[in-house]
Amino acid sequence: MEKLKDNLIQIFLLLTFIALGAACSVKPEPIVYGKDNCHLCKMTIMDKHFGAEVVTTKGKIYKFDDVNCMINFLNSGYLEERDVAHKLVIDFSQPEKLIDAPLAFFIRSPEIRTPMASQVASFETNESKNEYNQQWKGIYLTWGELTTQFK
Amino acid sequence: MKYTLLHITLIVTLGWTYAQPSRLTVQPNGKIATITQAIALADAGDTILVKPGTYREGNILINKSLVLIGESKPVLDAEFRHEVITVKARHVTISGFKIINSRVASMHDPAGIGAVEADFLVVRNNELVGTYFGIHVSNSNHIKVVDNALRAIVRSDHETGNGIHLWQCSNAVIKNNFIHGHRDGIYFEFVTNSVIDGNVSEGNLRYGLHFMFSNDDDYTNNTFKDNGAGVAVMYTKNVKMVNNRFEKNWGTSAYGLLLKDIRDSFVENNLFDQNTIGIYMEGTSRTSFKNNVFSKNGWAIKLQASCDDNVFSENNFQSNTFDMVTNGTMVLNTISHNYWDKYQGYDLNRDGIGDVPFRPVNLYAMIVERIPTAVLLWRSFLVFLLDRAERIMPAVTPENLKDDFPRMKPYDFNL
Repeated sequence: MEKLKDNLIQIFLLLTFIALGAACSVKPEPIVYGKDNCHLCKMTIMDKHFGAEVVTTKGKIYKFDDVNCMINFLNSGYLEERDVAHKLVIDFSQPEKLIDAPLAFFIRSPEIRTPMASQVASFETNESKNEYNQQWKGIYLTWGELTTQFK
Repeated sequence: MKYTLLHITLIVTLGWTYAQPSRLTVQPNGKIATITQAIALADAGDTILVKPGTYREGNILINKSLVLIGESKPVLDAEFRHEVITVKARHVTISGFKIINSRVASMHDPAGIGAVEADFLVVRNNELVGTYFGIHVSNSNHIKVVDNALRAIVRSDHETGNGIHLWQCSNAVIKNNFIHGHRDGIYFEFVTNSVIDGNVSEGNLRYGLHFMFSNDDDYTNNTFKDNGAGVAVMYTKNVKMVNNRFEKNWGTSAYGLLLKDIRDSFVENNLFDQNTIGIYMEGTSRTSFKNNVFSKNGWAIKLQASCDDNVFSENNFQSNTFDMVTNGTMVLNTISHNYWDKYQGYDLNRDGIGDVPFRPVNLYAMIVERIPTAVLLWRSFLVFLLDRAERIMPAVTPENLKDDFPRMKPYDFNL
């Protein structure tokens, strides 16, 4: 009987930790197109080729419809740089897929029509970037260069 | 000598015939059976009359100044494989067609009628059904889109383009159209000096009307109903919004009108009825809100602290859950001479103006703004007590957000 009680307590503790662990996870979550709103410009996020997300170290998630909304938000001073756990963007060639923004490849061209007119598309791989850019002939930017574009 | 004379006669006759616009008739089983064929035969300035029937010609490219008239709505069907009509010429008129089944694509924007560099385009009295984008115009001036009906059919989730989409245009007139089921009913990006009048935009997934970076435009006499949200006006200046109806835009964070970073504009004589939020405004300056009716909204106005120099006067606020809410204590806007149905003051000198100021922001609205779940306590006795206490000694609500001249009776705007 005593043993069973111990077991129950253990199970209970385990479950609590799992629940707490889930609540505190700092994982990105997918953007729900047609439902989520951009945190900065308030527009409903609709275009599956574009979008961005910031996850804080406490697990709070901010979603954006275009990369310039995310950059303007990061520049606004609302969050401290050290509180940001993830900065993510959508891969243009794989709609709805979030990729790590600082490692992504960016193209800026007036040919690219984005929700908030950033004219920027992002890619996970250099190959897909080059493939799409054959038609746009835009300029290639890294994350560091891109962030200076929207100051 | 003989030859020269003949030559001159020939040249004169040819020139004469060339100058006279001719008329070509397209008829199934006729001499000219397809519109594409007629366009190839026509000269600039000609009229092409299309007899009733169904025309499946893939993409119809209009590359010279022509007038296309459909008789009893002939059907142009692109069978989901192409853009239906593409215009790449100035002075083109398209009137009286039923345009159906354009291709659905996310990389390009196939439309029922797509136009590029098509100044003086007229699109009148057409019916567009099941097109991805309805009418998509870019880099064109002086265009007219009048009396059209657009009905999108959404196949998979949210895979639909905008109804009437203008990009980098000026001097456009969008009048008396009906738009249903698109992403945005009407979408303006970099469009200036244009007029949107008398349209009905309803049941669209995102906005009834959407402005981005489009200055000096007017929209008047339109109805925006049952959209994801009514109208969004963003990053724009000098927009006149007069005589419109914003109705039943319900849903989490839905609104009748979203104003984001706009200035020097006018919101007058409009009706905001049964929206979650009547007007949501952020970064809005020097804008006049006059003679509007706000009725049965969740929040009539959400005025973010980033707004300044706006004037709210002579409006009716009736049966809203909350009249106004803000997220800061600084108030740099003028509020006066409005009618508030929640006003409980008195008018001893009988001048029609209440003798004590009205504070449209209540404590509870401020709490809900910060802690959305607190809405559960709405209409509880505790909240009632807190609210009364706050009215006597304001602590959370902005001290100077008040109407010093609240009107005792509603205005009669006949909206």
